[in-house]
Amino acid sequence: MQGKTGSESWQEVWDKSVNGPRALIDCWQEIPCDPCQEACAQGSIVLSSGICAPPALHAETCNGCGKCVAICPGMAIFLVDRSIGSGLARVTVPYEMRDEIRLGGEAWAVDGEGNYLAEGRITRVSGAGRPGRTMLLTIEVPEEWALKVRGVRGRRKLLEEPEEVEAIEAVEDFAFCRCEEIDYSRLREIITQGEFRSLPALRRFSRAGLGYCQGRFCQSILRSQFLADCPEEDREVESFRVRAPVRPVKLSRLGGEDG
Amino acid sequence: MSLPCEQLDLLVIGAGPAGLCAAYEAAAVGCRVTIVDENDKAGGQLSKQIHRFFGSSHHGAGKRGIEIAEELFGDCLKLGVDVRLSSSVLGLFSNGEVMIDAPTQLCLVNPGAVIVATGASEKSLAFPGWTLPGVMGAGAAQTLINIHRILPGSRVLMVGSGNVGLIVSYQLLQAGAEVVGVVDTAGSISGYQVHAGRVRREGIPVYLGHRLLSARGSTGLEEVLVEAIEDGTVKRFEADVLCLAVGMSPLCDLAAMRDCRMVYEDALGGLVPWHGADMRTSQSPVYIAGDASGVEEASVAMEEGRIAGISAAEDLGSLNSGEAAERRAAIAKRLDELRAGPHSRGKLAAKERLYAR
Ligand SMILES: Cc1cc2nc3c(=O)[nH]c(=O)nc-3n(C[C@H](O)[C@H](O)[C@H](O)COP(=O)(O)OP(=O)(O)OC[C@H]3O[C@@H](n4cnc5c(N)ncnc54)[C@H](O)[C@@H]3O)c2cc1C
Ligand code: SF4
Ligand code: SF4
Repeated sequence: MQGKTGSESWQEVWDKSVNGPRALIDCWQEIPCDPCQEACAQGSIVLSSGICAPPALHAETCNGCGKCVAICPGMAIFLVDRSIGSGLARVTVPYEMRDEIRLGGEAWAVDGEGNYLAEGRITRVSGAGRPGRTMLLTIEVPEEWALKVRGVRGRRKLLEEPEEVEAIEAVEDFAFCRCEEIDYSRLREIITQGEFRSLPALRRFSRAGLGYCQGRFCQSILRSQFLADCPEEDREVESFRVRAPVRPVKLSRLGGEDG
Repeated sequence: MSLPCEQLDLLVIGAGPAGLCAAYEAAAVGCRVTIVDENDKAGGQLSKQIHRFFGSSHHGAGKRGIEIAEELFGDCLKLGVDVRLSSSVLGLFSNGEVMIDAPTQLCLVNPGAVIVATGASEKSLAFPGWTLPGVMGAGAAQTLINIHRILPGSRVLMVGSGNVGLIVSYQLLQAGAEVVGVVDTAGSISGYQVHAGRVRREGIPVYLGHRLLSARGSTGLEEVLVEAIEDGTVKRFEADVLCLAVGMSPLCDLAAMRDCRMVYEDALGGLVPWHGADMRTSQSPVYIAGDASGVEEASVAMEEGRIAGISAAEDLGSLNSGEAAERRAAIAKRLDELRAGPHSRGKLAAKERLYAR
């Protein structure tokens, strides 16, 4: 997570934020997304080369209005404001969770991995209670964390680490096709030892996918197992026969009023 | 059995972003369009998405999925598109007839052209314990929380670090569940960094290079064992929900039934009907668009839908060839821009292979 998106570095955001809030953009991959550019009335966010270019911020013209923070679907834009001085900074983050967070109350500022950075006072809450809107929370933290804060949370309990256990030796067998009761080991045997080089043939012989669910559960796994186990040279993956109805339908409907 | 057969001009199957845009585009040049969807609401995947959509603002990004769906649907209604919801298409026959299971009866229609925009279905995984209650697709979990307002469990383990896995993890957390982790066999997060960022800052760990071993429990899911691929150490997660977000595959059984030539393209999610850049399949007059033609994103689905709508309108005589080609070219340019990033490279190459065949 380098401090660089597009042509502007976070250093510049840091420098300019002594005059008031500036947008800090943590979005550096080439993804097809651009609402931030569209939302900024100042023209401070620019995608230089089409929709996949990472957004670049011009900290000079950004007025800290926060429109981009509220609209960004990646929740990847924050505001940093160092104008209050005395070693403190105010950081604004987008928020869509349900922790109890009150104006004037204390909350945790966390970094990009959810690690605790500092406890701070919530100095601004906007967009609360308006359904379908992202809330913006502003939290006061020691200046040194200003560029690191990525989230705010209530004093929620943290996850415990999963327990490490002894490796289990034998993998138990299990049902592959539930409807026709075909076990995993049996199916693999059929694929590796049989002469079935196409899915329809495999289906016909094993009966996997031909039961009540008509393959709804096992169709995709049957295909991946087939691809994994069948030698590539002579398999036929493109044949595919489908018959109506593709959705279950009551027989009485097909047969008219008296079924 | 004999059913009366209704004559239609253009039938669009699926009212997701692709289908709605296809219907709009064709109706805008004067086609008489009917659109059917098996859901009782239009919007497809969009109507399940409560998050702000990423994508281009030209396609409504920054708004929530449900809002985009409502807008597209409203636009279609304004143009007089005939919308039939709660209607499943059961079959697409080689004589051109289409069988629909409509709310009051089964019916047959005979359209002059058909656009298949049926979206995609979730892939699954088979492993010991996969039949336990509590093991479900991420899409199923999302339907439970966002449509039925039911929390499927209190502790969730997510398999798959693609965008769907990341977004659904976040939504489960919003709905009040605890998400104990996201597991992926890959060595790096497969979804977008910004989506991963939202999840990680909530303290949800992402276990890369880890493989699902088994799910266990007596009457329902109680624990999941996961193995680190590199050193074989095994972690035990207590969880009552195991969500699988291991990819989607195009839902194109209708096109296959209509004898459209099928092609296998891993990057597009599996078997897809062959199609050209104009979204025509190997069978005239059948067109394909959206996730059904290869799993990508909503903005892409919308543009492909528009192209399919234009091609169908051209073949139905509502648009002259020059005009149609010009409109398609303008959209193709936008599609190229959408697919310019590294995440789309494989899909773009697969599409180009298709177009060239
Ligand atoms: C969790 C999640 C999050 C996502 N987030 C984003 C995002 O932020 N941005 C983005 O760009 N994309 C996102 N996507 C992807 C996006 O939703 C899809 O790419 C897009 O919806 C595909 O549109 P479509 O019209 O092809 O298919 P769909 O939206 O799936 O619509 C298909 C429609 O066809 C109907 N149908 C299918 N078969 C039949 C039949 N036999 N008879 C009648 N009707 C039928 C279905 O009911 C459905 O309504 C997300 C996807 C998921 C799963
Ligand atoms: S904070 Fe306002 S002015 Fe600054 S980049 Fe965002 S939208 Fe533009
Ligand atoms: S809106 Fe957010 S996710 Fe999209 S490009 Fe801008 S900063 Fe990145």
